[in-house]
Amino acid sequence: MSNPARGPATSQPSLRARLDAARDTLAAATLRGEGGRAALAAYAGAVDDLVSELFTDALGATPQAVVLALGGYGRRHLCLHSDVDLLALFGGPLSASHESALAGLLHPLWDLGLAVGHQVRELDDFARIETDNPEFLLALVDARPIAGDRDLCDRFMARVDRADLRAHVMAALEALTDERHAPFNNTFYQLEPDVKEAPGGLRDVAAVRAIARLTDPSLLQQGPSDAARLDDAEEFLLQVRSILHLDARRNQNVLSHAMQERVAALLAYPGAQPQARVEHLMGDYFRHARGVARWLERVRRVAPAPVGPQLVSGSDGVRFTDPAAALNQPERWIAAFQAAIEAGAAVSDDTLAVIQQHADRYDAGDFFPDAARQSAWLEFLKPRPGLYARLSQMHDCGLLGRILPEFGAITCRVVRDFYHKYTVDEHTLLAIRTLERLATPPSPGTPPNGRERFASLMQDLERPELLVLALLLHDVGKSGDEEHVAESVRLANGVFDRLALPSDAREVVEFLIANHLQMSTVAFRRDTEDPETVRRFAAVVGVEERLKMLTLLTLADVDAVSLETLTPWKAELLWRLYVDTYNQLTLGYGDELIDQSQSAAQAVAARHPDLPAAELARFLEGLPRRYLQLFDQAAIARHVRLARDIHPDTVHVSLEPKGSAWELTVVTLDKPFLFSNISGVLSSFGMDILRGHAMTSPHGLVLDVFQFTDRERFFELNPGARDEFVGVLEQVVSGRVDVTSRLRRRQESPVHARPRRVTPVVYCDNHASQRYTIVEIVADDRLGLLYRVSRVMSQQGCGVDLVLIATEGHKAIDVFHITQAGAKLSPAAQDALVASLQRLLEED
Amino acid sequence: MKLIKCIVRPNKVDEVKDALTKLSVSGMTVSEVRGHGKQKGHTAIYRGKEYNVSLLPKMEIEVVVPDRMVHDCIKAVMEAARTGEIGDGRVFVMPVEESYKIRTGEREVE
Repeated sequence: MSNPARGPATSQPSLRARLDAARDTLAAATLRGEGGRAALAAYAGAVDDLVSELFTDALGATPQAVVLALGGYGRRHLCLHSDVDLLALFGGPLSASHESALAGLLHPLWDLGLAVGHQVRELDDFARIETDNPEFLLALVDARPIAGDRDLCDRFMARVDRADLRAHVMAALEALTDERHAPFNNTFYQLEPDVKEAPGGLRDVAAVRAIARLTDPSLLQQGPSDAARLDDAEEFLLQVRSILHLDARRNQNVLSHAMQERVAALLAYPGAQPQARVEHLMGDYFRHARGVARWLERVRRVAPAPVGPQLVSGSDGVRFTDPAAALNQPERWIAAFQAAIEAGAAVSDDTLAVIQQHADRYDAGDFFPDAARQSAWLEFLKPRPGLYARLSQMHDCGLLGRILPEFGAITCRVVRDFYHKYTVDEHTLLAIRTLERLATPPSPGTPPNGRERFASLMQDLERPELLVLALLLHDVGKSGDEEHVAESVRLANGVFDRLALPSDAREVVEFLIANHLQMSTVAFRRDTEDPETVRRFAAVVGVEERLKMLTLLTLADVDAVSLETLTPWKAELLWRLYVDTYNQLTLGYGDELIDQSQSAAQAVAARHPDLPAAELARFLEGLPRRYLQLFDQAAIARHVRLARDIHPDTVHVSLEPKGSAWELTVVTLDKPFLFSNISGVLSSFGMDILRGHAMTSPHGLVLDVFQFTDRERFFELNPGARDEFVGVLEQVVSGRVDVTSRLRRRQESPVHARPRRVTPVVYCDNHASQRYTIVEIVADDRLGLLYRVSRVMSQQGCGVDLVLIATEGHKAIDVFHITQAGAKLSPAAQDALVASLQRLLEED
Repeated sequence: MKLIKCIVRPNKVDEVKDALTKLSVSGMTVSEVRGHGKQKGHTAIYRGKEYNVSLLPKMEIEVVVPDRMVHDCIKAVMEAARTGEIGDGRVFVMPVEESYKIRTGEREVE
């Protein structure tokens, strides 16, 4: 079939003539006994030219398209009847026009009689590993571009050069190799060997090279024999294979008895009789096959595991596959420590030595040249097993002090007092170790140590890495002789700038550093039984997330002073202050409303002159004071804009990704069942609500903010998902669609069934707040829990004015501030509500 | 000689220490203790669940003083540790028969 779009330059006779000429050249070389690497590469080059011309004609005008050679063709080991494996790759979604253009590439190749194996993919197909096609993954190891968009090719290569993918390809390669060897009884001593498939054959040579490329290229210098022996074996096997293909006129790779005589003759083995020549040939064959088999056995045994880009983990720990290149790329060094934590290994001594030798060449900024490296640093700081050990290695080799010169300045710093037993740097790292231990689940059978309650706070933190950053910097001010807290804050601000830390994260870390002595002072030296002490401390802390962080920071800081400092007695005092403050923040906050003269309110007005003062004032009026502590200025300005032109039944929504989760902000006017309906819609789309706040102002404006995870990746995978979600939300809020039936379909699914782990608790309090009855629910975090609980409240005529939503592992902790006819609930109404809620949760 | 054992609120320990130092009390032992008196703890609520805080954290200060100083010491401790609320603590006074310095082996006399 010819393609009418094709120009004269690639007319069939011309292609045919060129291909035939290339094949004739290869055949002639084969008959001279020279059908090895050079001849095959020349033939592959000729096929490249054909493919490239056809691609340019057919797809040259298509943006973001590239064609790559895979497998043996990618290695340029193209025998006369080998498959020509191609990957046609597109940057965007495939369309019908792409398919017809592809025909312009593939049909002529088929017409030429080439055995084309082709794959057509979009770049996004490689976002996830295709575990069901190991051969294809393996073929990608040898991928090389032939024609098209080189930039797209580079992006593709970056995408497939991932540690997880390489580890997967390694596993696939090992499995395929075992599978391939089995029919040969795992021996290379075959009387009629398949020079491609048998143990010691060409596929094994390719496997040796692939393993080295996937894990550590230096493996090729550490084989059981000289690397040249592997090359010789490959050359020999390719020469034999070329003869087999030429003679059989098909993809025939078995060196049969009959073919052994012919091959021995063409390769000019000495001997008067064919039998003597065959014996020489087969002697050579077994020698080469044995060499290849030994190479493969060795590289399989010693290959380190790929754990990151150009990083492997071997018996000596994590190291760079190319240390010479790595020493000029300081931005990649942190990745070695990150990979070591993930692999549960250390960074190798050799790698540390390289870093130690070259760290002085770089300044702090060199380690964070872009946003990706800045967030990678924060990712590295997440408290988890291995963090302390890797930070200590990083510190010992001088890297930590280069990344954070502020920390470098407290290296071995001695501050003499009665309490501290370690240098300031080690005190800091030990404090991080305490956090790491709190974040590590205890192994079964470990007796309780009284820290479990603090560990439970760790699970609830949204960004525990900020706590580690705060700890790293909390004492850097001790490098000088000034008052260290203020100096630590000042120095930390330089770090925030280098890390381009977003303003909300910056505020949290600065708060923690500035107040790192506050909580121990209050807990150990103030009268915490005095409610006023707790109220004042709660005012300093503002919101629960910060309280939890400050509690953990204080615990870790005290624990790292000496082995004896954090006594169970002190831990108890700290915990009690935490509980009292937590209760103050969650139960009493509804009584403390925004004062328009508050500095935070004024700061928003000053920062956003486009927001009319009257509009801002009206929005803030009657909201709890904690609102100003929960949200940064940009978020507050967003909320004010969302509240514009709001009418009954209108819903203004913003839906944004936030880290690995999503954040939904809803502004609307209050009505019965509103909170229940909004949370119900989220659950009906399968979303897991992690945390959130619902607030209602006295003039009926409702602001609900939910953070949730989208485990089914609904928003990510479906282009129209957001519109569909917002549409359903509007319909449910306006009463046009009943969310109950939507939700029931999901709840009835066994997919969402979870075992009961928590005995449900319903606690009702009429004293903590002057305005509200408070209902606190602790229960298993099940799909639709918020919806069902708040629905019961609405059914009993309660207005749900304020809600705090939190999860801690699989436990949901929700605090509702409610009223009935504008007042607190009567004792009878409270009893009825608690009974209904208990029933609901027990049936759940 | 008398042993004066004071159980006080943790936040009062510095004030008690200072008051005793002013009286030239030369040595003292301070311990973190837990217990209850008439206060008998209280019920705290965390995340909807009640838990009974029966043993409250307190500090214990022990001093050994000559008989003639006992009255002043008790008065100083009372003044420093008192808030007027339940839970201010207790002062116990006990006779000390003999006292030896371990380093020198000498027996102390008033």
